[in-house]
Amino acid sequence: MKEDLMEIICCPLDKHDLDLDVTEREDGEIISGELVCTECGESFPIEDGIPNLLPPDMRDEAPA
Amino acid sequence: MPERDSDADRSRAAVRRTYEDIGAHFSKTREYAWPEVESFVAAFTDCGTALDLGCGNGRHAELLAGVADRVVGLDASRALLNAATERVGDEVALVQGDAVELPLADDCIDLAVYVATLHHLPSRDARRASLDDLARVLAPDGRALVSAWSTAHDRFDAEADAETGFDTTVDWTLPGGETVPRFYHVYAPAEFERDVAASDLRLVSVELSSGNCYGVVEPEGKRT
Repeated sequence: MKEDLMEIICCPLDKHDLDLDVTEREDGEIISGELVCTECGESFPIEDGIPNLLPPDMRDEAPA
Repeated sequence: MPERDSDADRSRAAVRRTYEDIGAHFSKTREYAWPEVESFVAAFTDCGTALDLGCGNGRHAELLAGVADRVVGLDASRALLNAATERVGDEVALVQGDAVELPLADDCIDLAVYVATLHHLPSRDARRASLDDLARVLAPDGRALVSAWSTAHDRFDAEADAETGFDTTVDWTLPGGETVPRFYHVYAPAEFERDVAASDLRLVSVELSSGNCYGVVEPEGKRT
């Protein structure tokens, strides 16, 4: 994802802003990292360049 | 925070898992944009931010990229988003998310398409909540096209003028012959209009085309 996406994404649960913690960048794209809600503290992963902002109960850690 | 319906959440997770299983194959059969969506999008130019809600492989996000500065493609299924990455990854910002609990700020979307996705949400409450959340993210003068499968479709025996639609399961057959069930709520056109009217969206116009209900909507009560 590009960093300017931060302007419009938010926590799916309470719609508050997210903090960005980048683990890996490549050519201006954020490849991996974490988005953390500034209000509820829920953490959302960025995996292979795509932020996973599913509510936690819709994720599954190990897809079948 | 509103109380959450754990049954519906589990079912939404199940719909997502279905598309994780079939996404790669499904997306190969969804090559072209729908003409109804093309003509809706063609009426706009110079939009700020556009959203394809339930973007699948990105075929409609691709259209939006022609008229908007920024396009967000959102889908619950990572398998579908991987297909979208190949097709439109350079021009569309892809986000994995839920259509009921959108991870997008209030008023940030100028133009949206929500095509063939609403009918996968497994309860009326979830569908209503999703329409409300779309209204929340739309800018005061934002517009969206919402479509859902309807009882007017040839494959159903139902009466097109029924007051309410029905829930059903439609199998997807993978190349190896394995079938994967998919949940659908098939809308009666009158019910589609009623559900949109009851939400925070206002129906600007509605039509039936190719067995689908299409509603052009705007957020209600945001203009000052």
